[in-house]
Amino acid sequence: MNKILAIIRKDLILRFSSPAEWLFFLILPIVFTYVLAGSTFGAGSDIRRVLPVVDEANTPLSRQILAELEKSTFVRPELTGRAEAERKFGERTIAFWLLIPPQTTQENLRGGEVALEFHTQPNNLDAVSAQAAIRAALRQVSLTIKAAQFAVQQAESRKPFASAEEREAYFQSALNLAQRFQEQTPERLEVTRATTPDTVQYDPRANSSAGQMITWVFIPLFGISALLAYERSHGTLARLMTTPTSAATFLLGTIGGQVLMALVQMLLLIGFATIALGVPWAREPLGLAILLVSGALAAAAIGTAMGTLLRSEAQANNLSIMLGMVMALLGGCWYPLELFPAAAQTAVRVLPTTWAMLGMTDLLLRGENWQGILPEAGVLLGFAVVFFTLGIVRFRRQFF
Amino acid sequence: MKNILLIAGKDLRLAFRDRAAIILMLAAPFLLTLGMALVTGRLTSPGGASSGPSNIPVLIINRDGESLGNALVETFQSAELDELLEAQVVEDEQAARRAVDEDQVAGLVIIPAGFTRSIIPPQGAVIDTTAEPVKLQFYANPARPTSTAIIETILTEYLSRVEEGRVIGMASVFQMLTSGVFTPAEAQAYGDEMRRQFSESADETALQDDEFGTLTLKVIGAPEQESVQFDVMAFMAPGMALLFLMFTVTYGGRSFLAERRQRTLQRMLTSPTALPQVLGGKMLGTYLTGVLQLIILIGSSSLLFNLRWGNFWGVLALILLAAFAATGWGLLITAFARTPGQVSTYGSAVMLTFGILGGSFVDLSALPEPVRLISRITPNAWGLDGFTILGLGGGLAQLTRPLLGLFVLGSVLFILAVWRFSRRRDLIQ
Repeated sequence: MNKILAIIRKDLILRFSSPAEWLFFLILPIVFTYVLAGSTFGAGSDIRRVLPVVDEANTPLSRQILAELEKSTFVRPELTGRAEAERKFGERTIAFWLLIPPQTTQENLRGGEVALEFHTQPNNLDAVSAQAAIRAALRQVSLTIKAAQFAVQQAESRKPFASAEEREAYFQSALNLAQRFQEQTPERLEVTRATTPDTVQYDPRANSSAGQMITWVFIPLFGISALLAYERSHGTLARLMTTPTSAATFLLGTIGGQVLMALVQMLLLIGFATIALGVPWAREPLGLAILLVSGALAAAAIGTAMGTLLRSEAQANNLSIMLGMVMALLGGCWYPLELFPAAAQTAVRVLPTTWAMLGMTDLLLRGENWQGILPEAGVLLGFAVVFFTLGIVRFRRQFF
Repeated sequence: MKNILLIAGKDLRLAFRDRAAIILMLAAPFLLTLGMALVTGRLTSPGGASSGPSNIPVLIINRDGESLGNALVETFQSAELDELLEAQVVEDEQAARRAVDEDQVAGLVIIPAGFTRSIIPPQGAVIDTTAEPVKLQFYANPARPTSTAIIETILTEYLSRVEEGRVIGMASVFQMLTSGVFTPAEAQAYGDEMRRQFSESADETALQDDEFGTLTLKVIGAPEQESVQFDVMAFMAPGMALLFLMFTVTYGGRSFLAERRQRTLQRMLTSPTALPQVLGGKMLGTYLTGVLQLIILIGSSSLLFNLRWGNFWGVLALILLAAFAATGWGLLITAFARTPGQVSTYGSAVMLTFGILGGSFVDLSALPEPVRLISRITPNAWGLDGFTILGLGGGLAQLTRPLLGLFVLGSVLFILAVWRFSRRRDLIQ
C-alpha cells in the first residue's frame, strides 16, 4: 500500500510541477463550460432571425415601423449602420437587410407611396418569410392613413369639397374613425401548442457541464499512455522492475493515481457547475458517483492499453488529445446526440464517451435515479474490463 | 538568405517526418472534420443548404369554403411559397392533429366555418360587433419552433391584408354616412359594392393605388450573383484546420528552444550563421509548415466534400495570411517561454482558447459582444470570416477586411516577438 501511495504521490508531483497544469485541470474546463453554456443561454428564448435595419429616417414613423417589427414571430429588428450592412451583405455574411430611407415621414406618407428597400441574397427562403413579416408590419403602420385617404377620394368622387379646409377636416375625421376600427380589431388568430414531445432534450448548462467534464477528464486519463511511454523510454520502468515492486503495484499506483485525480477534477467541475450554473448534479448522488467512477475507469483502461501500444511519450500525448477530442465530439459531448442522423446515433455507441454522456444526461435531463443509469455504467465498466485486460496482458508480455 | 532557406527547409522536413506531430497537425483536424460531417449528416448527404427551412409540412382544413378561406388556402399553395411550404388540404381533423402530435408536420391551420362571413357579412346583413370573432386556428408543433414561426408569420401577413380591406371599407362607408355624403339607402348599395370588391380581391392587397399613403417594400436582389447554398463543411473544415494551425506554430517555437537545450543552436552559431538568420530560418520554417498544413487540410476536405471556394486566389491569400498571423502568435509564445515544455503547454492552452474564441467550436454570433471583440486577436476568427465569405460565393474583393485583419495581427505579433527576442540574452548561453 505504501508503494502504491508513493507512486501516486510521485505522479501527482510530476503532474503539478508546472503551475500551467492548472490551466488544463481546472481553468480551461471551467472557461469552456461557462462560455458554451452561456453562448446558448438565449437560444431557447428568442429564435427569431436577426433583421438588420438601417434607419436613415429616424422619424416617429420609422420608429413605429421598428416597434411593429418587434412584434414579429419570425424576425428580430436590429439597428445597424448602412456601411456595415452593405459590407456584410457584400461579403454575404447576412442574407438580407432593410433600409428605411430618409423620406419615411408622416408628411411624405400622406403624399403617396413611401418605399422601403429590402435587400436580399438570391433564393433565400428565410428572406421570403422575412418579407411577409415586414409587409404585415408596414400594412399595420400605414393602414389608417390609407383608409382616410380612400374615404376622402370616395367622398370627393360623389361630391367635391367646398374648400381645402373641409377636405382636411373630412380626412381627419376619417383618420380617427379608421384608428378606432383598427384598435377595435379583434384577435383573429388563435395559436395553440401541441403536446408533441421534443425529441431533443437539451439544456445548455447541463449539456455543457457534462460534455466538457467528459472531454477534459478523458483526455488526461488517455494520457496514462504517455506516463507509461515515458517510464519505458526513460528506462525508469525497467529500473523500477528491479526493485521489490510488482507490475501490479506499479500499475495500480499509476492508474489509481490518475483515476483519483480525475475524480477530484470532476468533483471540482461539478461543484462549479452546481454553484455557478445551477446544474442539478446533486439530485442523485449515488447515481452520479457510479457514473463518475465507471467513466473514469473506462477512460483509464483505454489509456493503459494505448500506453502498451505506443512508442514515444510525444506520440502518446498527441494521440490522447486527438482521441479525446474526436471521441468527445462523436459521443455527443459538444452537440446533443439527438441531433445526429439516426445511423450516426447508433454508430457512436461503440464509444465510451457516448455512454458517459448518455448516463449524465439521464441524470440531469431525464430525471433518472441510480438504477436508471446502471446500463450505461455497466457498459462503461465493460470497456474498463476489456481494455484493462488488453493493457495488462500486453504490459506483462513487454516486461516479463 | 541561403542559410535562412536551409534552416527553414530542414525544419519543414523535420516537421513532416515527426509522426507524433503529424497526429495533431493533420490527423486530428482531419478526423474532427470527418466527425463533424458525420454528426451533421453531411457525410451521407451532398451539399448543405442553410438558406432557411424549406418544404415545411403544414396541413389545412378549410371549413369556411368562401372567399377569404379559399384565398388563405391559395396563399399557402401559391408559387411564391411553393419552395418554403408543403401545404396539404385535408378533411380529418383528428388525423391532422395526430400528425402534429407525432411530429409528422409543423402545424395544422383550421379555417373555421363562417370565417369569411364574420368579416364580410352577406348582402343585407350587418356585422354583429358583440359576437365572438371567428378565429383562424393554428395548432403548432413546438418541436419545430422555426417552422411554426414561419407559418404564424404567413398567417399574420394574410390577416393584415384582410384587416386592411375591412378597415378601409368600413371607414369609408361610416364616414360618408355620418357626414351626410349619402343616405342610408345609398350607403347600403355602396356597402354591397365594397363587399363585392373586397371578396374578389381577397387574395391581393386591397388597394394598390399609389396615390394612397402606402408603405411599400421594394425588394432588391444582390446584383449579378448566383444563388449559393452554403455548405456547412465550408465552415467546419477550415475551422478545424485553423484550430490545429496553432499547434503547428507552437511546434516550430518549441523546436527553437529544443535546439538551444540540445546545444545544436550554439553549435550553429559557431558557423558563419548569425542569430537573426537562425531565428529567421526558424520563423520561415514554421510559417511554411503552417501553410503546407492548411493547404493539405483544406485541399483534402475540399476534394472529399466537393467544396467550391469559387476563388482560388482568395483561398490562397487567406491561407498565406492566416499562417502568417498564427506564426506571429507562435513566435510570441516562444519569445516569452523558457523551455520547450512551456511552449508546448501554453501553446496548447492558446490553441484551445483561440478555438473557442475564434469560432471553431461555436458560432461566434452566439457569443456576447465583448467576447466577439476579443475574438479579433485570434487568427481563427479572421480566417473563418474569410472562408465563410468564400463559402457564400464572395470573391477576393470581399476578403479585404479579413485579409487586412490577419496582416495587421501578424505584423504586430512579429514586431512584439522580435522585440522580445532582442532583449533575451539567455538564448545563446
